[in-house]
Amino acid sequence: MTRYGGLGRTRPKKLTSKASIPIVREDEIDALDDEHHASLQQIETGVEKAEESEFHLQVAINLTAQGKVNDTHIPTPETILSSLRYDELYPPHFSQPATYIRFSSTVEDCCGCPYNMTEEDDVFLKMYNEKRDPSQRCSEDDFEATMNFFEETAQTKQPYAAVDSPPILSFADMEEAMDAAVEESVKRFAKDIYEHWKLRRAETNNRSIAPSLKFETGQDTDDSDPYVCFRRREVRQIRKTRGRDAQSAEKLRRLRKELEDARQIVALVRQREVARKEMIAMERKLFIERAEVKDMKRKLNIKDDDEVLINQKVFAANPDESSMEHVLTHFIQPKKRPEMPSQGRPNAPQLRMPLKPGLQGAEDLQLLEDVQSEKENEILRDIKANIAKHIKWNEGYVDLTRAPLSPSPERTFDTAAFRPAFTAQLPTPPSSESSGDMMDTALDVTSPLHSRDKLASKALELHGEPHRMPSFRRRVGRGGRLLIDRRNLASRCKVELDPVKADRFKFDQEDSDDEPVYDTDPFSIQIMQHRAITVAKVREQAAVAAQAHAQAQAQAAQAQARRLQGDQSGNGQNPGPSAVAASEG
Amino acid sequence: MGVRDSHGEAAGTPDPVEKGFATLNTIRIGVKAMVQKDGELRKAEILSIRQRKDGPSFYVHYVDFNKRLDEWINSSRIDLSKAVEWPQPEKPDKKKSTTNNKAPSKNIPKNARPGSRDVSGTPDALGGKNLNVGKAPRPSKAGGKENRTVDTPGDTSLFGSEAVSTVGTPKADSEDVDMADAAAEATLKEDGVKTTSGEVITREEEIERLRTSGSMTQNPTEIHRVRNLSRLQMGKFEIEPWYFSPYPDEFSDVDIVYIDEFCLSYFDNQRAFERHRAKCTLVHPPGNEIYRDENISFFEVDGRRQRTWCRNLCLLSKLFLDHKTLYYDVDPFLFYCMCTRDETGCHLVGYFSKEKDCAEGYNLACILTLPQYQRRGFGRLLMAFSYELSKREGKLGSPEKPLSDLGLMGYRQYWRETLVELLMEPGRETISENELAVLTSMTEKDVHETLVVFNMLRYHKGNWVIVLTDYVVGEHKKRLEKEKVKGARKIDPAALQWKPPVFTASSRTWNW
Repeated sequence: MTRYGGLGRTRPKKLTSKASIPIVREDEIDALDDEHHASLQQIETGVEKAEESEFHLQVAINLTAQGKVNDTHIPTPETILSSLRYDELYPPHFSQPATYIRFSSTVEDCCGCPYNMTEEDDVFLKMYNEKRDPSQRCSEDDFEATMNFFEETAQTKQPYAAVDSPPILSFADMEEAMDAAVEESVKRFAKDIYEHWKLRRAETNNRSIAPSLKFETGQDTDDSDPYVCFRRREVRQIRKTRGRDAQSAEKLRRLRKELEDARQIVALVRQREVARKEMIAMERKLFIERAEVKDMKRKLNIKDDDEVLINQKVFAANPDESSMEHVLTHFIQPKKRPEMPSQGRPNAPQLRMPLKPGLQGAEDLQLLEDVQSEKENEILRDIKANIAKHIKWNEGYVDLTRAPLSPSPERTFDTAAFRPAFTAQLPTPPSSESSGDMMDTALDVTSPLHSRDKLASKALELHGEPHRMPSFRRRVGRGGRLLIDRRNLASRCKVELDPVKADRFKFDQEDSDDEPVYDTDPFSIQIMQHRAITVAKVREQAAVAAQAHAQAQAQAAQAQARRLQGDQSGNGQNPGPSAVAASEG
Repeated sequence: MGVRDSHGEAAGTPDPVEKGFATLNTIRIGVKAMVQKDGELRKAEILSIRQRKDGPSFYVHYVDFNKRLDEWINSSRIDLSKAVEWPQPEKPDKKKSTTNNKAPSKNIPKNARPGSRDVSGTPDALGGKNLNVGKAPRPSKAGGKENRTVDTPGDTSLFGSEAVSTVGTPKADSEDVDMADAAAEATLKEDGVKTTSGEVITREEEIERLRTSGSMTQNPTEIHRVRNLSRLQMGKFEIEPWYFSPYPDEFSDVDIVYIDEFCLSYFDNQRAFERHRAKCTLVHPPGNEIYRDENISFFEVDGRRQRTWCRNLCLLSKLFLDHKTLYYDVDPFLFYCMCTRDETGCHLVGYFSKEKDCAEGYNLACILTLPQYQRRGFGRLLMAFSYELSKREGKLGSPEKPLSDLGLMGYRQYWRETLVELLMEPGRETISENELAVLTSMTEKDVHETLVVFNMLRYHKGNWVIVLTDYVVGEHKKRLEKEKVKGARKIDPAALQWKPPVFTASSRTWNW
């Protein structure tokens, strides 16, 4: 970057890009020798070397250097106004929106049918149409659509036509490609236009009729052919591993499956819509016929209940309906409970087949209810059988492997195992909401989460009910741990609980996933008493515990099967379902 | 920065040129003859010959003229009373034999001309590498070069000293002359290799080089050296193409090719074109408008999403950009299209393309004002807009090289005007090149070189100074006055609704 711009006597200071350079006018400094021309040559032009020497460019550069920029002119070929009728070709329809244009349609989206007629096509079409009466004529648009269909089909069926020059596609192949997506008009004219297309196609050696760009064909000549353009760029290489290969293969497989599924769905939707259309047509026909019947009735002065004139969805299908509708109808509209909306099939209401009274084939028809209940029973039977099977398998075995870390609170332990803790009955009358509570509890079995939210309030209320006496039970857990379960532990402290304190614990439940915290006074005599008894009993039982150990294990295993249920109900019924371990003492 | 041998003197002794006299029958491709051009005789190389009813017609390239002035002439313009230079016989191991292995016919490679000089392993100014051709360069996998490098060293440069011609006569409206109109540039990246003369390049290397540099100059058939379209109809104009463009080869047989002004689709048949126009609904470039002022709009078009349109645009612009390459697809580029508006739609005036992710920090790849709109100041707007985008990105940028002659003149003018405007701001007494670069989004290199080229950076009494020469001050005042009369044509940053687009890593992997 350094430049020796001076007179060469002294070595100039190095000029850095950050250095501040004073700006002066030309008259403020002494005239310098005209040495800049030499230095000018050192500046790259950025023009291709071979072209740098071009005559007009050099003239321009030199003139610029001499300060005559405006005299520079590099000649270019001329542009003239066209004689084409611009206004006809480009209609003035554009109005600029107030906001900046946002646009994402492609050229293909905007250009309609990609095939464009030429004079040759005009001649053919004119002759073709002359022979026909006006209603049978082929319009230019239809003609183009048909030609385009041929071109596209040829492109799909012979993608490498440019390379291996296959014979021109036969009309049979064309017909084969006509699926539902092909327009009626195309189908109508295809046969007549095919010969013309074939002729034109032959002219171009079975390449596309409209001239197209040359893309890569995979041949050796590609690289040196100046007409081949827009090659694909190699995808950036990523390290190949077997794992990634498998992954990609799996991805592709999945993609394919999903696409096929989607296609299937679309096909089914189409099928459904077609059926719907038929149905609407049917309804319309029915309506018209009813109208006729009505007129007829008026004319003939017949007076009856006019039942045929309205839709009777109460009744089973008319036997002469198509079989599918038949089945559907009586599933949806059970004859005995016509008012019951069909829950199983939400799309059923569309099928409003008129039903004639007295024509139902009553006996062979099943009720939806029956079918459903039968299914349900079947499932239940299955479950029972499975349970029995499992028990049979496990007979005589003690499953040591699957013992839970801590024996789950068993739901099935009979209430007898809980020894009610008789204390003084509190005078509070039963809560008026008790029945509601019961309901809740029942519901809670199915939703343990729900129950947890309610625990707090219930713990304070439940004690009023006689059978909800607080009771305790002792269990021996794994490793001889002694566990004490409490049930219906009504907070005795309810009375003492002042509102401020209660408020303090109001939201405690939701915070912790663990046991609820009970507000107890550790120094209350009752509790101390209780602890003392417990501890005494623990000692007593310690010896027995060892013996009971094995048995307990077996029990635990048994309990396993019902564990889930046990968990749920345990939560629901026990205010404090989890054990208060011996450590409490 | 490696200082480059500015326009390389011929190194080594040129092979003796075989001279002699020719007749119309003996003239063949590769012969250089004296040809009448605008009232004077110029040496011209015959690139193609075709037979017409009224005798043969020759496609000639005038030595030391830009290719865009190449033309078809009839035999009467060739002065056969002067000696012609016969093409160099093919010598496999000698001189520029890059194409001799496969030169299929009498098409003599341009390289094998007498008087060709060496451009010996020129230090690559941009890549900073001095590459050896011996190692075939690897193709850049992700490189999105849109320009190609021409490896062909040119002729001995006897420029300037040759007869002062009347060709360069300035136009009447010289004030409006704006060279900023067409600029083509390829790049001397690491894969752009300068051929050392005398080197033998195998076909494999040759193809490899074609792949990497995108150059089509090396083509054995040299088809592309002959302009393939004769006339273009686009919008309200008829345009003469300047260079070869890979439109379908059938198009070279027709007199006029029709281009739809909006979708840029191309037709060799007027009826088909009219049918298409009846159906086409496009009225502006198919992208988002990102800039609008009272005169022009800019649209941003993504090469990947609008492949057809962008391909059409590239094909069209290749007709006017010698160094553009269409070797690869348009996916890695964004196209910023400048339009004027009227009641028929937004008419494309010019555009520049920009790599979505440019490793070299170029702020544009190709820039072009369509010929029908040239010399009206649009090129300047395009350049200003490209720098405005760079400012938004917070980057310094420079156009991809090489520049075309018009591109160079245009950029130099833009750079000078931009810098002078800043330097003339009242109250500004000192400034560093870095500050200038940051304020303009130009690279420091461009800032420095512009100052040097216009003789504004001088060493005076032991210090560097920036001299506002009488000339640049005069030009600046003239411009201000013109703007007062005609209104200033500037890019208003407030009207630009644009955020630099962000592309994900996966789009990179899948080639944008």
